[in-house]
Amino acid sequence: MVQTILSRLATSLLVIFGASVLVYCIMYLLPGDPVLLMLDPSSATPEMIENMRVQLGLDQPFYIQFANYFGDMLRGDFGKSMINSDPVLPKILEHFPATLALTALSSIIAITIGITLGVLSAIHRNGVIDFVARLVGLFGISMPTFWTGILLILLFSVQLGWFPAMGSDGFSSLVLPAATLGLVGAGFIVRMVRNSMLEVINEPFIVALRAKGLSERAIMYGHALRNALIPTVTVIGMLIGDLLAGTVVVETVFSRQGIGRIIADALMAKDLPVVQGVVFFTSIIYVVLNLLVDISYSYIDPRVRRAVRT
Amino acid sequence: MNRSISWMKYMALAAVLVMVLSGCGAAGGSTNSTAQASGGGQAGQAEGGNLTFALATSPDTLDPHRSGLAVTVRAIRTIYDNLIVQLPDGSIKPWLATEWSVSEDGKSYTFKLREGVKFHDGTPFNAEAVKYNLDRVIDPATKAANSLALIRPYSSSEVIDEYTIKVNLESPSQAFLGNLSQALLGIVSPTAAQKYGDQLGKNPVGTGPYTFVKWDENADIVVAKNKDYNWGPETVENKAAPHVDTITFKIVPEEATRIGSVQSSQVLAAETVPPQNIAALKNDPNQQLLQANTVGLPYTLFFNLRKAPWDDVKVRQAVQSAVDVESIVKTLYLGNYERAWSALSPGILGYDASLEGSINPDINKANQMLDEQGWVKGTDGIRAKDGQKLTLRYVDGSPNREKRNDIAAIIQQQLKKVGIAVEVEITKDIATVIYQNWDYDLYGNSQVNSDPNALYAFYHTSAEGERPTLSGLSDPKIDELLEQGAVETDPDKRVEIYNQIQQYLIEQAVILPIYVFPYTVAASKKVEGIKFDSLGYPLFNDVRIQP
Repeated sequence: MVQTILSRLATSLLVIFGASVLVYCIMYLLPGDPVLLMLDPSSATPEMIENMRVQLGLDQPFYIQFANYFGDMLRGDFGKSMINSDPVLPKILEHFPATLALTALSSIIAITIGITLGVLSAIHRNGVIDFVARLVGLFGISMPTFWTGILLILLFSVQLGWFPAMGSDGFSSLVLPAATLGLVGAGFIVRMVRNSMLEVINEPFIVALRAKGLSERAIMYGHALRNALIPTVTVIGMLIGDLLAGTVVVETVFSRQGIGRIIADALMAKDLPVVQGVVFFTSIIYVVLNLLVDISYSYIDPRVRRAVRT
Repeated sequence: MNRSISWMKYMALAAVLVMVLSGCGAAGGSTNSTAQASGGGQAGQAEGGNLTFALATSPDTLDPHRSGLAVTVRAIRTIYDNLIVQLPDGSIKPWLATEWSVSEDGKSYTFKLREGVKFHDGTPFNAEAVKYNLDRVIDPATKAANSLALIRPYSSSEVIDEYTIKVNLESPSQAFLGNLSQALLGIVSPTAAQKYGDQLGKNPVGTGPYTFVKWDENADIVVAKNKDYNWGPETVENKAAPHVDTITFKIVPEEATRIGSVQSSQVLAAETVPPQNIAALKNDPNQQLLQANTVGLPYTLFFNLRKAPWDDVKVRQAVQSAVDVESIVKTLYLGNYERAWSALSPGILGYDASLEGSINPDINKANQMLDEQGWVKGTDGIRAKDGQKLTLRYVDGSPNREKRNDIAAIIQQQLKKVGIAVEVEITKDIATVIYQNWDYDLYGNSQVNSDPNALYAFYHTSAEGERPTLSGLSDPKIDELLEQGAVETDPDKRVEIYNQIQQYLIEQAVILPIYVFPYTVAASKKVEGIKFDSLGYPLFNDVRIQP
C-alpha cells in the first residue's frame, strides 16, 4: 500500500511539472503582448514599452524566461503579478481558503443530495421519488451555472431576503454559491448512482442474497450500495475537480473572493506569473484528489485491496 | 423526442415556481416602502453610518498615477485631492492650490498652495510635495499610465517657497489646467510613495476627505472619514469632514447580482445600471436612480482611413447614410442613452450642437453613392468592384460592454441592405489587432475627458515613432486647427476652432458617433447627497444616510 502511494506520489510530481510547462507554453504562445495590456496603448510611448519589457525580462528568449521562472519557483518564489506587482504566493495563499471552503461545501451538498436521491430513485423506480430525482438530475446538468446562480439570488436574496446576494463574509454568504455548484454536482451524482444501483440490483448475487432471506434493507444498503459506490467514487473525484473549476463562474456571479476570480482576471490580463501560480496549486489539488480516490477504492472494494497486496 | 418534451415540462414548472415566488416577494416589498416613505420626512442632519457602494469592476490600483481604469477614479476621488477643480461649466477653481498665474508665453504656471493641509500619514502638504508628485508621473520608474498623457507637456517644476511652486511646460497648453484637475493627477503623499514604491496602490495615502482602511482583492475597498478635512472643492457643499463614517466599495462584476444586491438592501448603492433595469428601478418606491452623462469623446466608431476602400470619402459617406444610429440607440438602450452626433459629447467646451440632426439615414442615397463609385451588387447581394468584394471588418474589444457587440450586429444587418458585408470580430487583444496590425476597418472607442483637446490624440497626424491614431486621419488643415486649439487662449476662438474640427469629421465621415454614456447609480432612498463631478464621476463628500 505504502509503496503504491509512493509511486503515485512520484507520478503526481511529474503531472504537476507537466501542467506547469504546458501552461507556460500556452501562455507564451498566446497572441497579445502583456506589456501592451499593462500600459495604456493610447498614452505609452514605444520607449516606455521597451523599458518595461526589459524590466520584466520579456526580451529574453523563451528557454531563458522559462528556466528563470522554474528556478525561482523551486525556491518558493512565484514572482510578482505583472499588473500590480503583488507577490503571487501570498496572494494565492490568501484566496485559496475561500475557494476550498466553497468547493468543500458544494461537494458535501452534491454528494449528500446526489447519493440520497440516486439510491432512493433506484429503489423506488418509476415512483414519485424517482421523478423528483430525475428532475434534479436533469436540472443540475442542463442549467448553466451562472443562470442557476442568478435565479437563486433573485429568489433567496431579492425576494425572500434569506441570504446575501454576494460577498464573502461568513457562512451565510457561502450558502447560495455552494448551493449553485452543489446542484450541478448533484445532477451528475444522482444519475450515476441511480444507474449503477439499477445495474447492481439485477446482478445474480443480489438474487442469491434474497434467496438467503436477507432483509431488503440490508441487501440494498449493505450490499447493493457498496457495489454501486465504486464507479460513483470515480465520478465524485472528477466532479470535485469540476467544482473547483466551476468556482470561476460562481465566484464572479456572487462576487466572492477566491482563486477562480484571480485566475479569470489574470488570464484576461495575460498575467503570466499569477496564472502559473494558480495552475501549480490547483494541479496539486487535482493530483491529491486522484490519489484519495484510488485509496478509497481499496476501502470500498476488498478485491482492490487484495490486488494491491499481491 | 420524448426526452426534450419532458425537459420543457420541467422548465415550465420551474418558471411558474419562480414567478409565483417573486410575485409574493414583490407584494411584501411594497408594504415595506410605504412605511419608509413616511419616516423619510425628518430628512437632513443624519451623521455617521457606512455607505456601501457596488462597483462594476475592480480598480487596478489605488495609485492614481499608475491607474488606467475609470473605475479606479470612483474610489481614489475619496482618498486624494487635486491642486484645482473644474466646474461643470469648464471654469477652473481652487482646491489644494488657492490661486495661480500664467506666464506671458503660456509656458509656466505659478501656484500658491493652501497652508495647513496634511496628508493622512501626517506628512505636510507643500510645494516640495507637489514637485515630487509631478516629477513622479513623468519618471519612467513609476510606470505611470493614463496620468502620463494628462500631464503632457509638463517639463519641470521649481519650488519658489514653502507654499509656492512654478510649473514649466514644454509648450503652452489650454488643456493643462483641466487635466490637472483630473483624479489621475491626484496628489499622493511623497513619504508614502517613497516608502511603498510600486505598492503605493495597495497603501494609498492622500489628503482627501476619506482615509484608506483596507482593500480585500475582488471583495471590497474600505475608506473612513478624514476628521481633519476642511478643504473641499467648490463642486461639493460640505467642505469639511464627510458625514458618513465609512464607505465600503464592493466589487460586483455580474450586473444581475449588483442590481440584486441593491434591491435586497445588501448594499445602499450600485453603479452602472443596465438599461433593461432602469425602468424597474425608477418605479421602485425604495430606490432612486441617479444619472450623469460622462464628458469627453462619446462612443465613436472610427474608420481606418489607411485601408481601401475606406480611404474613399464617398464610400464612408455611404456607410454613414446607411447606418441608422437613432434606431440602434433606441433599440439597445430603451431610451436611456442619448444618441451622439459629434466627435465630442455635449457639455464639453466647444461642443457643436449644430451637428445634432445633421445626418439622417437614407438608404437610397447610400445605394446611389456606392453605385457611382463603381461598387456593383452581385448575385449574392454583396457589392463588388474589380473582383473585390465590399467587406467591412468591424472589430470590438470588449465582451459586450454596454451592448457594444449588439451595435456591431445591428450595423451588420443594416449594411447588408446596401450590399456591404460586415465581418464582426470580438477580441480582447486589441493591443495586437488594432494598435499593432491595424487589422480593422471600423473600431469603436470612447474617452472621458474635460477638454476638447482630447481630439488631438485621435485625429492629429501622428509623428514618426509615435503611436498612430485610430482613424489614421492625416489632414494638414485639421492638424493646424488641433495645434491652434491646444494653445488658443481666447475661449470664443477656441470654440470656433473645435466647431470646425467637429464639422469636418462628420462631413468627411471619418467617424460614426453612436452614444453618450450615462453613468448611472441605483441607490436606496435612504442615501442623500451623491453628487457627480464635471466628468461624471461620483463625489461622496455630501453623502448622508438616513436611519
